[in-house]
Amino acid sequence: MSEEHAHPHIKDFDGHVDAVASDLEYFRRKRIESRVLYYLRRGIISWADLFRAHEAVGPAQPVSPQPDLELRVRALEDSLDALILAAAVAGTRLTNHTVAIDDTRRERGDYEPVFRLATRSYDGDLETRLGLLEDALAETAHLVAVLTRALVDRGEVTEGALDENRQRLSGLGYHNGARIVARAWVDPEFKRRLLETGREAVRELDIPPGRLGKLGVAENTEDTHNIVVCTLCSCYPHDLLGNPPWWYRTDEYKTRIVEDPRTTIRDMFGLEVDPGRKVVVHDSTSDVRWMVLPRRPEGTEGMTEEELAELVTAESLVGSAELATPSP
Amino acid sequence: MSERFTAGDRVRVLATVDGGNPRTPHYLRGRVGVISELHGVIVNPLDHHLPYPPLYSVTFRVEDLAGPPGPDLVIADLHDEWLEPAS
Repeated sequence: MSEEHAHPHIKDFDGHVDAVASDLEYFRRKRIESRVLYYLRRGIISWADLFRAHEAVGPAQPVSPQPDLELRVRALEDSLDALILAAAVAGTRLTNHTVAIDDTRRERGDYEPVFRLATRSYDGDLETRLGLLEDALAETAHLVAVLTRALVDRGEVTEGALDENRQRLSGLGYHNGARIVARAWVDPEFKRRLLETGREAVRELDIPPGRLGKLGVAENTEDTHNIVVCTLCSCYPHDLLGNPPWWYRTDEYKTRIVEDPRTTIRDMFGLEVDPGRKVVVHDSTSDVRWMVLPRRPEGTEGMTEEELAELVTAESLVGSAELATPSP
Repeated sequence: MSERFTAGDRVRVLATVDGGNPRTPHYLRGRVGVISELHGVIVNPLDHHLPYPPLYSVTFRVEDLAGPPGPDLVIADLHDEWLEPAS
């Protein structure tokens, strides 16, 4: 279930489409439609605001045709990425209301399944699924555009604030984590500060430390392999490292990893943790957001900090993968 | 809001807490673990409006959570009001 963007060709189309369907449903239900409902219920926007905004925005953008299947799947993944970014930008702080993440957690069903919005399925053969997902992505992107426009028209956000937030969010990603890890490998004093002070230490790398509570850093060692989960929603140091891999948000992972960590890591990620090492699962409950400090691969003694950062994967920061010695 | 527990204390997670932070996973309720780290009161306005009581990392053995026997652990971050001393 690893990300395969680094590979030149897609081998498993169904796997990629499964990942898009899973993530679309997560973001649609938990970060987009539940937020629209929250704003409506609290009177932050009205239905009439949405109708007016819809007229101003115009209809949903049609999906542009692609010459082959691979490009079609890539385009689908790109539109999902664009949707996730647009949804995060739409969460720009409001002018007249203070909305914390906690306000929406109950309404989106994190604690009571009765509140959860129904999950849609996108079944059929590959061609059918692609068509259904393209339409659903376009419609959901349209909803985000309408919501954003309604918030601007209501004076709850400004275009300037949206641009600023878009720029900040675009700079987030696991590459920040890779730089933190590489520095920790080459500088023991930095590693000590990182483990002790978390966010404060990353300022040394000119990485914006973010403000989502405390950063916990779990160091992999000879006798411990760490892995991170958020069983209640999908807490992660988003504000520092961007989004974790898609499976992090799936119910399957959240349920299984705390029941039997070692077997789950083997079955879902193909990683055999040595029987002599213990597996430690960190279940984040939002105030401390955890990342894993993976072990430095052997045979990398001569590498520079920049080269080392290139070795670090998004998976290793969550703990679903270890890092291999680079091939010469 | 001072800390009632310190590292090494055995604690039981309560089944329910009126008005407590709802972010206490259900699979840990009623379970016994050991305080492994003190985080204090965390001010985190993007996440929630008011600071909750002090936060601890509490370590549970997977085998005590009805998982398979072995050395594996679950560490969860839990707030003071959800914990009681365990013998």
